[in-house]
Amino acid sequence: MKPLTKSDLEALNTPPAEPAEWMRVQMDTGGIAAGAEEALAELIRRRDEMRLTIPALRVGSVGYSFADPLVEVKAAGLPRILYGRVTPDIASAIVTDHVAGGKFVDDHVIATRKRSTTLTSPVTHVLVRDTGADAGSKTQFFQFSLIEELKRRGLADRVQVVRALDLGLYDEGVAVQLLPAGVTYANVLAPDVARIVAESIEGGKILDDLLWKASDPQVRIVLRHCGEIDPDSIDDYLRHAQGYQGVRRVLFEQTPEQVIDEMKTSGLRGRGGAGFPTWMKWKLTRAQPAEQRYVICNGDEGDPGAFMDRSVLESDPHAVLEGMIIAGYAMGATKGYFYIRAEYPKAVERVERAIQQAREVGLLGSNILGSGFTFDAKVRLGAGAFVCGEETALIASIEGKRGSPSPRPPYPSVRGLWGMPTAINNVETLANIPAIVLQGGAWYASFGTASSKGTKVFAVTGKVKNAQLVEVPMGTTLRQIVYEVCGGVLDDRDIKAVQTGGPSGGVIPEKHLDTPVSYETLQQLGSIMGSGGMLVMDKTDSMVEVAKFYLRFCVDESCGKCAPCRIGGYQMLQILDRISRGRGTAEDIVTIRRICTAMQKASLCGLGQTAPNPVLSTLRYFEEEYKAFIEGGPSYARKVSRAAAPAPAPVAETPKPVVSP
Amino acid sequence: MKTAPPFATGEHPSRPADFAKQDEAALLSLLDEVERRHGFVPRDISEELTRLVEIKLERLRRIQGKLDTTLRRDVQKHVAQWRDEEGNLIMILHAIQNQHGYVPREVAMELSRELGVKLARIYEVITFYHYFKLQPPAQHDVTVCNGTACYLKGAGDLIGELRNRLGVAEGQTTPDRHCHLGVVRCIGCCGMAPALVVDGKTYGRVKPSDIGGILDTLKKPEAKR
Repeated sequence: MKPLTKSDLEALNTPPAEPAEWMRVQMDTGGIAAGAEEALAELIRRRDEMRLTIPALRVGSVGYSFADPLVEVKAAGLPRILYGRVTPDIASAIVTDHVAGGKFVDDHVIATRKRSTTLTSPVTHVLVRDTGADAGSKTQFFQFSLIEELKRRGLADRVQVVRALDLGLYDEGVAVQLLPAGVTYANVLAPDVARIVAESIEGGKILDDLLWKASDPQVRIVLRHCGEIDPDSIDDYLRHAQGYQGVRRVLFEQTPEQVIDEMKTSGLRGRGGAGFPTWMKWKLTRAQPAEQRYVICNGDEGDPGAFMDRSVLESDPHAVLEGMIIAGYAMGATKGYFYIRAEYPKAVERVERAIQQAREVGLLGSNILGSGFTFDAKVRLGAGAFVCGEETALIASIEGKRGSPSPRPPYPSVRGLWGMPTAINNVETLANIPAIVLQGGAWYASFGTASSKGTKVFAVTGKVKNAQLVEVPMGTTLRQIVYEVCGGVLDDRDIKAVQTGGPSGGVIPEKHLDTPVSYETLQQLGSIMGSGGMLVMDKTDSMVEVAKFYLRFCVDESCGKCAPCRIGGYQMLQILDRISRGRGTAEDIVTIRRICTAMQKASLCGLGQTAPNPVLSTLRYFEEEYKAFIEGGPSYARKVSRAAAPAPAPVAETPKPVVSP
Repeated sequence: MKTAPPFATGEHPSRPADFAKQDEAALLSLLDEVERRHGFVPRDISEELTRLVEIKLERLRRIQGKLDTTLRRDVQKHVAQWRDEEGNLIMILHAIQNQHGYVPREVAMELSRELGVKLARIYEVITFYHYFKLQPPAQHDVTVCNGTACYLKGAGDLIGELRNRLGVAEGQTTPDRHCHLGVVRCIGCCGMAPALVVDGKTYGRVKPSDIGGILDTLKKPEAKR
């Protein structure tokens, strides 16, 4: 590819018309593990067999992990349809029925979240699903009655009724979506079927009493290109995603101070967890006199159960790189490092390719686009140490040393990598930046709450129906995230708590689920925002065990440099272990509290200071569980562990070995 | 003690250890033969043998030198790739581990000479990070994900079942080096928890009752010679 010029980039600003047809297979680690490669191979095989010309493309993942592997299809004249759990058989059916025949495949469609309230064009397809508690038992019946009703009115060959996998509504009775408009009806009862067919499908009229008016709480800014573009192609990013227009704008239209001001207007705060204002970090780094400054992208997502950074790096690496270039320009840095976990080989591979491609077209290197600005980026691998997510430890690791943290101040923005001013930004923070530059800080600040602006990506997992990535504006409540977006608790058990912030965070009990999410509110509840892992726990999960799990993680990961963390963590784990075997005493709780305070006050880095959080927050909200262990003794402990043993819920599908490369 | 020659004549040994054994066995049987005939080892024979051993030692040293050079060249290749980078140690270790599956001691020593960094400092780094291994990998790698999502959905039961079936604890390898049982923090497949990775193949939504079937797919270790 030949180097781009400023005018080339200007010409690329207007994206070309959407191609008429394509099939996109979502290839992130989760998708590949679930069999995306096989699905793609089958799509291509079947397509060639039928002599069709529809292109089969690889894209990143939209984040619906519960339904991996995902395939999205745009056939000529039909709306975009997302299919989940696409086995090779289903892939074959997609080509045969959907692409060639215009008929959707039953039981695998994931409906669009962009719901409409007006019927703009005649209905061609109807999605139906029973969203009630008994998991879809009435779906079949409603499909049948809709078809019968359509037949009676002579519409059966014009409108297809399809059983959907997911409609984005939960616990709202039978729901029906009319395509291509996207009008959605909820709580549909048997007598309504005739009305829907007669008035909406035939008459083009909206049934106001059934209409689902609430729009989806999600807003996709960070995940804007995930599942839309090929992460391995800079061409796709440039052509279809306004790629590197942010770089062009800052280089030719804004001074570094203006960029920082724009960030200030946007109110963007660090998405790694602590929530330090991004503009201030950049300004401090810029203010330091130095001949060399560095930008580091922190992709050391060690938090178990969190996978948003991996997903963004795998699905949209160029956006993160673009954010890094802009950050470099704003603070006068000429070198950037991506620090990525070695356990994420796909992310490493894609970021390395993105850097290579950007270098080839002259978006990295000296004198970028003739602006006189020089910047280059490199990848450094982590090696499986959780503490390396901490700034000073991360810097030590990039320098090729043990990842031991060092006391702050001096902060990295004063003395960072090789003693030079360094700004460390999280993957998600950097992915936000091109969007802010293009759409303006005021636009970004229009999302969120007074003190926490914009959106936040969460990886919702655990005992939840739809484990997936969720991007919501700050201020959305936890209950909305768990129930409205992710469908509630698995097997419709009662929710007990939500854990945020991983091993540094805490649990938030059911009674506080209506708290709007922001940095401050979560802190008040004894947890933290963290990088965005969100674990849902149901009534069967023992909080003592959960606290022990997280504490063991921190003890394993403690680097051993300072005593409060090394010794305090270990001793506390011993006590927790004793309690969970029913051999604790009432004084143990007092001791635990004392150790926690010591660790919080005296530890050197964030790991030790926050390690007691899971213990403290479970003690705060679920002290009775600790007491039950202490008072109940060994027999109670045995009973609890026996009750927890057969926990794996019966899952409909049998596990299938799926090959990843 | 009499050892039968391990190879029938004419059969070509394929491993260095077999070569050595063959040589040794032939000479030992010659010595036995001589001793049986004379009751003692004549001076000329013992002198000849001593000379032979010296020549052999010399040759072996040459092989050792050659080995060292290939090892050095190998390490140099990795170092050259990162020569001009500051803080390159971790990236070089990654490259070495990718090649060997672990960081062998000789390679670490050579690396220390090549970089001019103390061996202790290299080991300090290797042992700090979970990702670097000092033991050669087993034939098969069974890894259970114990991220929080998998933990909540019963990864503990999977680990228990695997411990029972393989007879080793987490992080250990079966004595015949057939299977390594590993536990990792999170493989990012939280959507299909609990997950299990066997030789790069990911199994999702695994129940303890599936473990037997999954382990059966691994080949039995080759019969000992």
